[in-house]
Amino acid sequence: MLTDFNFRVIWEYMPLFLTGVRATAFIAAVSITLALITGIIACACRISGIKILKYPAIAYIELIRSTPLLVQIYFLYFGLPTLGVRVPELQTGILALMLNSGAYIAEIIRAGINSVDEGHIEAGISSGLNYVQRMRFIILPQALGVTIPPLLGQNIVLVKDSALLSLISVVELTRSGQTMTSERFMPAEAFLTVAFFYMCIYFCLKTFADWSQRKLIFREVY
Amino acid sequence: MIEFKNVNKWFGKLHVLNDINLTIPKGEVLVICGPSGSGKSTLIRCINRLEPIQKGKIIVNDVPVHDKATNLTKLRADIGFVFQQFHLYPHMTVLENVMLAPVNVKKIAKSKAEKIAMKKLEQVGLTEKSGVHPAQLSGGQQQRVAIARGLAMSPKIMLFDEPTSALDPEMIGEVLDVMVNLVSEGMTMCVVTHEMGFAKKVANRVLFMDEGAIVETGTPDKFFDNPKTDRAANFISMILTH
Amino acid sequence: MMAFYFGQLVEIFPFFLKGLWMTSKIAFISLVSCTLIGLVLGIFRSSNSIILRHLVGVYVAFVRGTPFVVQIFIIFFIFPEWGIQLEAFSAALLAMAIMGSAFICEIVAGGIAAIPKGQWEAAASSGLTNLQQLRLIVIPQAMKIILPPLVGQYVLLIKDTSVVSVIGVMDLTRVGWVTVVRIPEGLMVFTLVGALYFMISYPLILLSNYLERRMAV
Repeated sequence: MLTDFNFRVIWEYMPLFLTGVRATAFIAAVSITLALITGIIACACRISGIKILKYPAIAYIELIRSTPLLVQIYFLYFGLPTLGVRVPELQTGILALMLNSGAYIAEIIRAGINSVDEGHIEAGISSGLNYVQRMRFIILPQALGVTIPPLLGQNIVLVKDSALLSLISVVELTRSGQTMTSERFMPAEAFLTVAFFYMCIYFCLKTFADWSQRKLIFREVY
Repeated sequence: MIEFKNVNKWFGKLHVLNDINLTIPKGEVLVICGPSGSGKSTLIRCINRLEPIQKGKIIVNDVPVHDKATNLTKLRADIGFVFQQFHLYPHMTVLENVMLAPVNVKKIAKSKAEKIAMKKLEQVGLTEKSGVHPAQLSGGQQQRVAIARGLAMSPKIMLFDEPTSALDPEMIGEVLDVMVNLVSEGMTMCVVTHEMGFAKKVANRVLFMDEGAIVETGTPDKFFDNPKTDRAANFISMILTH
Repeated sequence: MMAFYFGQLVEIFPFFLKGLWMTSKIAFISLVSCTLIGLVLGIFRSSNSIILRHLVGVYVAFVRGTPFVVQIFIIFFIFPEWGIQLEAFSAALLAMAIMGSAFICEIVAGGIAAIPKGQWEAAASSGLTNLQQLRLIVIPQAMKIILPPLVGQYVLLIKDTSVVSVIGVMDLTRVGWVTVVRIPEGLMVFTLVGALYFMISYPLILLSNYLERRMAV
C-alpha cells in the first residue's frame, strides 16, 4: 500500500512545509483578530435596536451563514477586480476569513448575552443602572465566560477554513502540499504530511480550549 | 431464594461490600438499613447485577448472578427493581412505561400486555392516570407507577432502593401502603429504607449495615428496641431524633 | 457591458440549474449516509468497550483535526495509488460521508451521554437487552437533544459540499468557477451562485433556530 512511502522527499520539502505552517498560523492569527472586531461590531449593531444598524447586521450575518465559505472567497477573488479594486490574493483571503468568521462570532457573542439570567438584568434596572452600565457590569462579564469556549472552537474552525485559501493561490500549508504534488507527483506524501501538520496545530489549540473550559467551569462552581 | 456467599466488592480502593453472607428465603420481607455510604444500596443492586462484584457468589433462584453465562434478561425479568429516583421513562405514558417490558422482553401481545398493565396500575391505585406522562404526576404517584412497572413482569422478587427517600412526607404513606399490600400477597422483598414503621409492621427481619459489612440482624422489634451493637443503637437514635 | 454579460448569464442559466441539481444530489446522499453512519459511530463512541470507544475517538480526531479540502485531496489522490480507482463523484461522496459522520457521531454521543444513568438501569432492571435499552429508552429521549445541533450540522454539511468542486465535480460552485472564465463578471456570477445556495440552506437555518428555541423552553 504505502510501502514506498518516500520520507526522503518529505524531508527535502520540509522547508516548504514549515513556511506553510508559519503562513497558516499568521493568516489564522490575523483573521481571528479582525473577525473578533467584526463580530463584536456586528453583534452590537444587531442587538442595538436601531433599525438602520440592526437590519444590515442581520442581513450580513444570515447571508454569510447560509452560503459556503468557498463561494465567498471566489466572490471576493473574482468580484473585487470587476469593481476595479486590485487586492493581492493573501489580503483577499484574509478579508474572506474575517467576514466569514465575523458573522459566526457575532452569533456566539449574542448567544452569550442572551444566556444571562433575565433576573440579573432586572436587578440592574431596579438599582438604577442604565443600558451601558448594565452591559458593562452585569451582562458582559457573565457572557464572557460562556462565549470563550465557542470562540476558541471558532478559532479551530478558522485554521481549517484557511486551507481553502490555497485554491486562490495563497501560499499556506495546504498550498505547500499542492506545490509538492505538482513538482514531484507524490500526493500521498504531500497531503499526509500536510494533514500531520494540521493535526499538530489542532491538538495544540484543542488542548488549550479544553484547558480553558475546565478553568471556566471551575470558576463557576465557586 | 437469594444467597450471598462471601461477596466482596471494591470501588477502586474503597471496600464497599465486605464479605457478605446472607440468605433470603422465599416469602421473606427483609429491611436493610444503615448510614449513607454503608453499602446497602450497592448490596441490592448486586442482586440483579446492576453492579459487578469482585469476589464471592450471589445465587438467585439457583442461578449464579455474576456468571458470564447467565442469561441476564431472564434473570432480571424475575426481579422487579424500584429506584429512589423512580426513573420512569419521560417520553412514554404511564401505561406505556408499565407495558414496555412485557411486550419487549416477554413478547406478550400488546392487547394482553395492556390488560396486565392496567391490572398492575389498579393494584397501585392509578388506573385513571394511565394515559398521562410521568412529568404530570406527583412524586408519590410516580413511585407507585414505578412499582407497577416492576410488578408487570410478574417477578418472584421485588427490590426497593430507598423508595420513599425522594418523596415529600405527605406522599410517603401512599407508597408504603402499596408495598404493605404486596407483602400480604406473599412477595419476597428486599427493601432499603429507614421507615421504622414499615419495618416493624411487615418485615420478617432487619439487617443493619455499616462500612460495607453486615453488623447486625434481627427481628424488627428486637433490633429497634434492643440493638445489640453500639453502632446500631447510635444509628437508631439518630433516625428517631430526625 | 454589464447588461451584455447579464444577458449571457441568463442564457446559460440552465447550466446553473444543473449545478444546483448536482449539489442537491450530493447533499442529499451525504446527509442520509452521514446520519446513518454517524448514528452507529455515536453509539459505538458511547459503548462500554474501551477499544471501540477509542477507535472511533481517533477517527473523529483525525477528521476534526484536518481541513476538509485536505481530506478530499487525500481520498482523491491516494486511493488510485492503492489501485482503487475512484471517479470524482464517488470520491466526493466518500469524503463527505467520512467527514460528516465524524461530526454527527459527536452530536449523537453527546445526546446519549446526556441521558441519566438511571434510565439505563431502570430499563436493564426490567430485563431489556442492551439493544432494547438503547432503541426503546435512550435513543428516543436523546433524539430531542440531538435534533437541533443535527439540523445545524446539516447546514454546515450542505455548504461543505462546495469544496468537492476542487476535484472537478460539476456542482454549483464549480459551475460558477467555470462560468467566470467566460463571463468575467465575478460579482454577478457568484452572487447568483450564492443566491442558489441561500435557497437551500436558509430554510434549514430557520428550522434549526426554531428547534433550538423550542428546546430552550
